[in-house]
Amino acid sequence: MTALHLVWQAAAVLVGGGLLGLVYKGFDRKLAARMQSRIGPPLRQPFLDVGKLLVKESIVPKDAVGWLFKAMPFLAVIASFTVLLYLPWGPFPAILRSGGDAILVLYLLAVPAVAMALGGFASGSPLATVGAQREIVMLMSYEFPLAVAVVGVVWRLATLGGGPAFSLGAIAAAPLWTMVGPLGVIGLAILAACLLIVTPAELSKIPFDIPEAETEIAGGLMVEYSGTYLALFYLADAAKTIAMAALVVTLFAPYGIAGLLGLSGAGGQAVDLLFHLVKIFVVMFAAVTTVRVAMARLKIDQVARGFWLQITAVAVAGLVLLVLDRMVVG
Amino acid sequence: MAETQNVYEIPIGPIHPALKEPIRFTFRVEGERIRGVDIRAGFAHRGIEFMAMKRNLIQTLYLSERICGICSISHPITITLAVERAAGIEVPPRAQYLRVIYSELERIHSHLLWAGVAAHELGFDTLLHLTWKVREQVLDLLEELSGNRIDYALPIYGGVRRDVAPEQIPKVEAMVRYYRGLLDELLDAFLRDPSVEARTRNVGILTPKEADSLCAVGPTARASGLSKDVRQDRPYLVYGELGVKAITPRDYGLEPRGDVYDKAVVRLLEVAQSLDLIETCLYEMPEGEITSFPKIPALLAFLKKAEGEGLGWHEAPRGEVIHYIRLEAGVEEPIVWKVKAPTYSNLMSWVPMFRDQEVADIPIIAASIDPCMCCMDRVHVVRDGSPGTVLKEELLRLSRAKTDRVTRHLSPVPRHGGGL
Amino acid sequence: MTADQVKKALASAVPGLEVELRPRPVGVRTRVEVPELWAEIPREGLVPAVAALKAAGPLHISVISGRDTGEGIELLYHFAAGYGTPGGEVTVTLRVTVSKADPVLPSICGLLPGSETAEREKIEFLGVEFTGIPSTAHVFLPDDFPGYPWRKDDPETAKLVNRLVEWEGKNG
Repeated sequence: MTALHLVWQAAAVLVGGGLLGLVYKGFDRKLAARMQSRIGPPLRQPFLDVGKLLVKESIVPKDAVGWLFKAMPFLAVIASFTVLLYLPWGPFPAILRSGGDAILVLYLLAVPAVAMALGGFASGSPLATVGAQREIVMLMSYEFPLAVAVVGVVWRLATLGGGPAFSLGAIAAAPLWTMVGPLGVIGLAILAACLLIVTPAELSKIPFDIPEAETEIAGGLMVEYSGTYLALFYLADAAKTIAMAALVVTLFAPYGIAGLLGLSGAGGQAVDLLFHLVKIFVVMFAAVTTVRVAMARLKIDQVARGFWLQITAVAVAGLVLLVLDRMVVG
Repeated sequence: MAETQNVYEIPIGPIHPALKEPIRFTFRVEGERIRGVDIRAGFAHRGIEFMAMKRNLIQTLYLSERICGICSISHPITITLAVERAAGIEVPPRAQYLRVIYSELERIHSHLLWAGVAAHELGFDTLLHLTWKVREQVLDLLEELSGNRIDYALPIYGGVRRDVAPEQIPKVEAMVRYYRGLLDELLDAFLRDPSVEARTRNVGILTPKEADSLCAVGPTARASGLSKDVRQDRPYLVYGELGVKAITPRDYGLEPRGDVYDKAVVRLLEVAQSLDLIETCLYEMPEGEITSFPKIPALLAFLKKAEGEGLGWHEAPRGEVIHYIRLEAGVEEPIVWKVKAPTYSNLMSWVPMFRDQEVADIPIIAASIDPCMCCMDRVHVVRDGSPGTVLKEELLRLSRAKTDRVTRHLSPVPRHGGGL
Repeated sequence: MTADQVKKALASAVPGLEVELRPRPVGVRTRVEVPELWAEIPREGLVPAVAALKAAGPLHISVISGRDTGEGIELLYHFAAGYGTPGGEVTVTLRVTVSKADPVLPSICGLLPGSETAEREKIEFLGVEFTGIPSTAHVFLPDDFPGYPWRKDDPETAKLVNRLVEWEGKNG
């Protein structure tokens, strides 16, 4: 593969991922509105929002730590778009891949949250400070169950000898469900459920939109951001939504339908890619849109307790089942 | 920055998404815990009581309606009761029933409004949209009966201005049926939803003792288990005959805790109570006159001669409203007009409710007493650092002057003398 | 609670107090009379009277209204005695007049903490003073608000209006 080819592919994924993120955000808003018996914004509204933000004045508050305040939106965008490069896209393998990229993706997913928290602290507003503190607590709460779920799956695959260790590419190529015993299937189902619960938390959506909590701290972390910087965070969020949903799909449902339809070649790849995007959409709809419509915002202590005790316990139980499965099946 | 100390201050308001009307809270916060609060009101102070001293009583009645958009029946009813008492005016029986019907309709729309706001404060926007969607029904009925969605201009001294026509009765019945059928769903959505319960149970507690000593009124007091309701305790209009009973969480089979959840219970059950009251009044209402002064000039002439003082009270959706008025013969304007809205009484109960709660609870606790700032605050203008009280004539003049300036500025050709 | 009980309580607290009963006929099918009590009370008698009312039963203060009578300032304390008794609340209004030279009254916040807002409002609007009030901070008006809007002879209020007229003249 030539370097030029790689650059071309990367550009396609980055631009495509960004556009897709905004399109999905449009669907998310429209569907949520319909469920709330509202008409909702047009599907292209996220594009209009970003467009408008980009031409608006970007204000840096007097009390803010300027360079940090301005740098963080860029960091968030870079990190969340980089994740897209490490994820396989249906029939197409990831642009960047190596052993252990599953672990790398975990770290990259945490970076936008840290960037937002630092940006919040740097903005010098008490409301943003509260938001930033909450973001950090959130991060510490959901990271462990997230790590358990991801690592559990890739570790089990490694024990079965599938491809390079801790690689997302390997898991996409070899779905685990049929390779493990009954205990393993239960364990995998539990981990999948945990990951779905972590998804809205990772994306700071209701009931976990605590760091931004509009009615409490007026947007929290984001309260001082405007113009281009806010647009960047918006894009980072769109990309992260896609990345998180794609991660769930890659780990637990990396199946294609081209084979079933008897298609091969370019047509098959196109169908599989489309199917992959549909799966991403389904995950987003189930874990983000419906959840945020059906629930009230929780409080930070309720979330921290829930993730540290209940969700972690459930995730560890899933992991234990996988370990037992390894002992039984081998 | 603030991290150097453990306790730092978070300002909420005067303008903040959690507040539907301006008020300023300054919270002293340790981590996520509230250690103290300083409350400043007055941001919606328009000097209405002062303005009334320059107006005749009919104008004052319309002014009273504009104290607050939501209580635009409660305040006029209370001022009419006070003036009728001061001037010795009798109200025809039918008008008394009609006043009850109108004020119960207001209670339904106000409580549903509150329920939606409360859901929004919790971040549960779906519930907000659904509640406000069903609230349209009662607003439609109010529009049908009065011609307006708010500011109904219904009560007048000596009666009411509009009757419920026979052909409108089926519409009222339809509304009663609509909400009866919906009530279970509403109770289900608010009281049996785990995420709502997690956010409202044991949050913003007002103990019965605090409620009593701080003279809390309305649903705020009733949620703490105090059986207090002006309609029940201090009869007026026909409420004494309707057998109104104060609703506490006990009516829902719960031991009152005085938290936000209990306040939701009380308000939602009161919607059902209002439906019953409307239905009873609709069927028991006798035929007859709706006002003892069909002609306004006659009323004005009578009021000008009237002398005396009087109190009027009413259980508004948020609690006790009381007006005091003093009239002197030969003077068209009220000598004194004191308005006390429910939030005025409930202001102090915020302090114990906020104590040791979390920052996340601020919006819902603030909303739990269903505050109505414009009722509580009643013009002051601050400009260039020089505060001033502005009379209506002044405001009108200022507003006209501004319109003039703007037009001059906008029109390409400067205006001269007579024509454009 | 009945009007007689309240009357007795008031009479024992302030000897020689004249309490006027103004019954208020209410209702359409079954007429009842809701008792309203009005009494003019010297300012020394205020605290004992409120204490007696409180001892007699649950007490609620609705509001304090007031006016400038020319020579003095008249404050009306509107209470509901027997608060929370179905059909049995008695409205009690105590009228206290203080001279403008010495507009000082005892605070009743010690007995009834709920009266703080009402008392603070009177400080802002009528320029009276309450001894023993927990806080005198403004509730409704800005802290540096000059004058007292409800005083009829207040030069500051007149000045404010004049200043605004001037301001408009300059900017209009």
